[in-house]
Amino acid sequence: MMQDDRIVVGAISGAYGVRGEVRIKSFCANPEDIETYSPLTDSEGRSYDLAILRPIKNGFSARIAQIATKEDADALKGVELFALRTQLPALPDDEFYHTDLIGLEAVDTGGEALGSVKAVHNHGADDLLELLRPGSSATVLVPFTRAVVPTVDLEARRIVIDPPEGLL
Amino acid sequence: MSRSVWKGPFVDSYVLKKAEAARESGRNDVIKIWSRRSTILPQFVGLTFGVYNGQKHIPVNITEDMIGQKFGEYSPTRTYYGHAADKKAKRK
Repeated sequence: MMQDDRIVVGAISGAYGVRGEVRIKSFCANPEDIETYSPLTDSEGRSYDLAILRPIKNGFSARIAQIATKEDADALKGVELFALRTQLPALPDDEFYHTDLIGLEAVDTGGEALGSVKAVHNHGADDLLELLRPGSSATVLVPFTRAVVPTVDLEARRIVIDPPEGLL
Repeated sequence: MSRSVWKGPFVDSYVLKKAEAARESGRNDVIKIWSRRSTILPQFVGLTFGVYNGQKHIPVNITEDMIGQKFGEYSPTRTYYGHAADKKAKRK
C-alpha cells in the first residue's frame, strides 16, 4: 500500500505487557530494519519514535517514546506505520523496490498496452511481475529478466516487455 | 523412503519431448507443462517452463541449482500478497 510518497513498513498489533510496550509487526524484507526508519508516522501524520526491545512471537516488542501506559498502547492496536520513500537506501542498477514497480504501466515493444504491475513475486526462481491485463481482472506473470523486461523507466512510470512466445 | 537410484530421476515423457523440441528450435519460448511431479534435469537448464499451478502457468527459468528439484516446487498453488515495504526485486 502506498500513500503519496509514504510506504507501509509495519503495524502495531497491540500492547505487550503492562508497562506501555507495544507489539510491532514488521513488513520489511529484514524485519529488524523497521527501527532504522524511525520516526514512523501513522495515516493521520502522528509521529512515533520506535525502539525495538526484543523479538517476540510474530514480531517485536518495542517502546514508543510517546506511549507510557498499557492503555495508550492498547489504543494503538491496528495502526499502520509509514516511512517516507526517500528514507529507503539507493539501490544498484537492475535492483528495484517493489513499491516503485507496483503500478507501472506495461507496454510491449510496439507500444501496445499490456496492463499494469499489480505485484512482484518470488517463488524461488526469478522475480516475477504480476500484470493486471487492461479491462479485465485476469493477471499474467512475467519473468523480471533483462530479456523479457528490457526497459524499466521509473520516471515515465512504465516498463517495456518483450514477451516470449506462449507467455501472454 | 527415497527413490531407488537404479530407476533414475522421474520425468514425464512429454516434458522430455517438449524440452528437446524447444532446444532444437533454438527459440526461447515458454514451454507449458502440467507435470509438477517431474524432476528438473541438467538438459533443462536455460529453458523457461510454464509450470501449471492449477490455475495458470507460472514461468520458471531453469538454472543449475534447481537440478534435482521438482517443477512444482517453483509454482506455488496459493498466492500471498504481502506489503511491499522495502522489499527488492533484482532484474537478472
